[in-house]
Amino acid sequence: MKHILINEWKGFLRNRVFMILLFIFIFSLFLTTYLGIVQNNKQIQAQKEAQEHISEQWDKMDHGNPHQSAHFGSYAFKPTSVLNSIDEGINSITGNVLRLEGHRQNDVMFSEASQSLLISKFGKMKPSLLFQFIIPLFLIFLSFNSYTQERDTGRLKLLLIQGASLKKIIFSKIISIWLIGLVLLLFATCIQLIFNLHQLNIDTLFRLILLLISYSLYYLILINLTILLSVIFKSSTGALSLTVVIWVMWVVFLPKIIGNTVEKIVPLPTRVEFQDEMDKDRAQGIDGHNPSDNRRQELEQATLIKYGVNSLSELPVNFRGILMQADEEYGNDVWDKHFGTLYSQLQTQKNIYQFSGIINPFASLQSLSMGTAGTDMFHHLYFLSQAEEYRRDLIKKLNNKWRDGNWDKSFFNSIEDFHYNVPSFLMFIGKYLLDIVLLSLWSVILIFLVKYLSKKTVIL
Amino acid sequence: MRLLNVFLYEFNHFRKNPAKVITYLIFVFACIYSIYNGFDLQKKQQDTIVSIEQEAQNKVSFIANFFGNIQSQPDALEVLGYIPIYTIKPPSPLLPLGIGQAEQYGFYKKITTWSSTYDNDMVEELANPERLVNGNIDFSFLILFLLPVLLIILTYNIRGFEQDFRFEKLISVQFGSIPKWIFVRFMFYVLLLIVTVLFFIFFVALVNNALFTHFHQIGSLILLLVTYIFSFSFIFYFLILKSHGSSAIAFKMISAWLVLCVIIPGAVHQFVSMTYPVNYMTDYLDANRKETYEVFDLPTDSIYLELIKIYPDLFSTKYAQPNHINAKMIRNTTYAIVNEINKVSIEKIEKQNNSKNELIRASYWFNPLAYMQNKWNSYTETDYYAYRGYRMDVQRYIDQNIERSVFQAWDEIKLTKEMYDDFLKTFNLNFKN
Repeated sequence: MKHILINEWKGFLRNRVFMILLFIFIFSLFLTTYLGIVQNNKQIQAQKEAQEHISEQWDKMDHGNPHQSAHFGSYAFKPTSVLNSIDEGINSITGNVLRLEGHRQNDVMFSEASQSLLISKFGKMKPSLLFQFIIPLFLIFLSFNSYTQERDTGRLKLLLIQGASLKKIIFSKIISIWLIGLVLLLFATCIQLIFNLHQLNIDTLFRLILLLISYSLYYLILINLTILLSVIFKSSTGALSLTVVIWVMWVVFLPKIIGNTVEKIVPLPTRVEFQDEMDKDRAQGIDGHNPSDNRRQELEQATLIKYGVNSLSELPVNFRGILMQADEEYGNDVWDKHFGTLYSQLQTQKNIYQFSGIINPFASLQSLSMGTAGTDMFHHLYFLSQAEEYRRDLIKKLNNKWRDGNWDKSFFNSIEDFHYNVPSFLMFIGKYLLDIVLLSLWSVILIFLVKYLSKKTVIL
Repeated sequence: MRLLNVFLYEFNHFRKNPAKVITYLIFVFACIYSIYNGFDLQKKQQDTIVSIEQEAQNKVSFIANFFGNIQSQPDALEVLGYIPIYTIKPPSPLLPLGIGQAEQYGFYKKITTWSSTYDNDMVEELANPERLVNGNIDFSFLILFLLPVLLIILTYNIRGFEQDFRFEKLISVQFGSIPKWIFVRFMFYVLLLIVTVLFFIFFVALVNNALFTHFHQIGSLILLLVTYIFSFSFIFYFLILKSHGSSAIAFKMISAWLVLCVIIPGAVHQFVSMTYPVNYMTDYLDANRKETYEVFDLPTDSIYLELIKIYPDLFSTKYAQPNHINAKMIRNTTYAIVNEINKVSIEKIEKQNNSKNELIRASYWFNPLAYMQNKWNSYTETDYYAYRGYRMDVQRYIDQNIERSVFQAWDEIKLTKEMYDDFLKTFNLNFKN
């Protein structure tokens, strides 16, 4: 087997077209990885500058009272992860700016995709585009040719006569082609490591390793499948047609069809319905700005009893601060109910979609690729929850200060800016277990099928 | 006659080749599915619009009844402020043929005196972001991206098969010119695909009664489609002529597809992103927050002068007169100043977006796919500019609404039936009962 493998590699190295293509791939990978990093760093810088700009504004502004500052609010700018340079995931589709203010939980705004004409349906030229679309196709053609050529030229018979077993020949071919995929993956990873050395930590390294494993499993699946089909089909063109059709189904059709179907199984409300329902629930609570509100009067009474006084003017604290916080807390329950339902619907959609990995390993790969890069929906929802937590904390601090009085500039300046803590991948690993299991299953099943078929196939 | 025989032979070959027939049927099924999706999105948008209009209609009817019962003229600002104003972008009847960027933007907007075109409610409908990344099975996507793949599957073994089995010479003996023979066989598939796609275009046009109302757009779509298919056919035909063996032909065809449909657009996308990184819109955020709060802090005199600068005719209104100046009322109309500030910052954003688009357009000569998809989307009114036009409509409504409110407030205008009718007409609120 070792000899066949070395021989295969020698054959590749002697093939001028292969060498040119390999060089093109290595060069493109270098360029896309490097440019991806440059673009990512630019974006990280822009995000940092925007956040600093807003923070500076807060520090410099002449705060009236804390409630005015709650209305003035702040902004959270969605940060970009280091591995965004490999796979951008949903980042260009979702908004990047979140307004954090009193009385309401907002949605992210200003997505990159809405800021220009359409350019590419398959995303930017990032390593993920090469890994998911171009390298697999290259591997398909290499695998297809590698077996059918031996068979069509009669060389396969010669090898078998010399004593090699069909199983060993086929697996040597699979491994030799798989190694090409691995070399390309490792190359891109090394570039990533070299140019991002200063931003690396254990978590990023772990993510990179898992990303590498996911893609290598996917390549193994593709190579096995292509070889399997070329062994099954007597006509090499039939085998190639079917492989290309399967590939197109996996990467283009199925993700879209299943995505649409999932949205029909777990439908989301329209924005109007969502807003109306929230407004309805919100209207049943305390309205901090409406003096004729009954619930406000009940709170007034409860506060007077608590402090043992007869009128608001006798209170040792500012009643408006208490009122605003009560309003806020009621609002928080409403947001939790509605946004909570929405987020759980989105997660259910994602979970159902992940099951499509049973018929489409590309779905599992895509999920793992975005997940390890920190650019998928789980990470997005985590950002939103952290921003909302910050908002609630900010507004509570402001309302409490309004209640207690004695605020000055140092109080406002002591309020910390929003800081997003990138979650450790271990926190999320449970969400991707299904993807990992399905990719591994596909690999194992296909290896067994190839093994079985190579035993059953009679050449001589 | 010989040419016709080859053409008919190709039809028989196609008919008897299950792999090709199945692939073609998958494409047809995908077209049906994509059109169903398009109709579904169109219906969803229409239903949402109907529910929004219903809400407005209820309030309009309420006010209409109110006119019959009142004794004295009510305050215009108060009554008209009760009626919700919406700007709506109704879906084009050709939307099922191309969803384009429709899922990236909102299509309805409630107009208040504090509105702007980059408000939170201008964002897209609620959707799973990962689904949006993968996109929809959109008809235009099928045509622009998958039709060339189908063409590859249908044609890669023309001549390649004969070369694989070494009887190409037989063809030249029997037929003569190999390029001509390839051309005729190739044309069969080109025509098959054109007819198939045309069928779907006419189907959508007929179902949505758009054949005559959108005659120009449909004609342009067809022209674009034919040009596109012929361009790819030319490349593939050339590759068949210059390659040897079906796998080499398939490999080169797929590579050409990858370069044109994935690599070039992806590279341009990356370059554009580097030149114009994501806009965090800090100018707009400043206008919307910091500068707005600065306006709130201005003394009433300054606000008064600023408002007169925006609307010189305000000077002749009741509360502009020195003996009538009402500070509270003046401060209540600061939104007009904020609107002007917002407009300045939004213009900057639009300019930057436009520069970005200029860069994209400059790439069209080597990135034909981006040209094709944006052109296609422009005919189905789902491209960036269709939504920019919508944003301009929103801004127009905002301006009109603010001007109306400011004048009604400063002049303490009482509502008349004529004024009310004019209001309904201006904001497109004349619903048919």
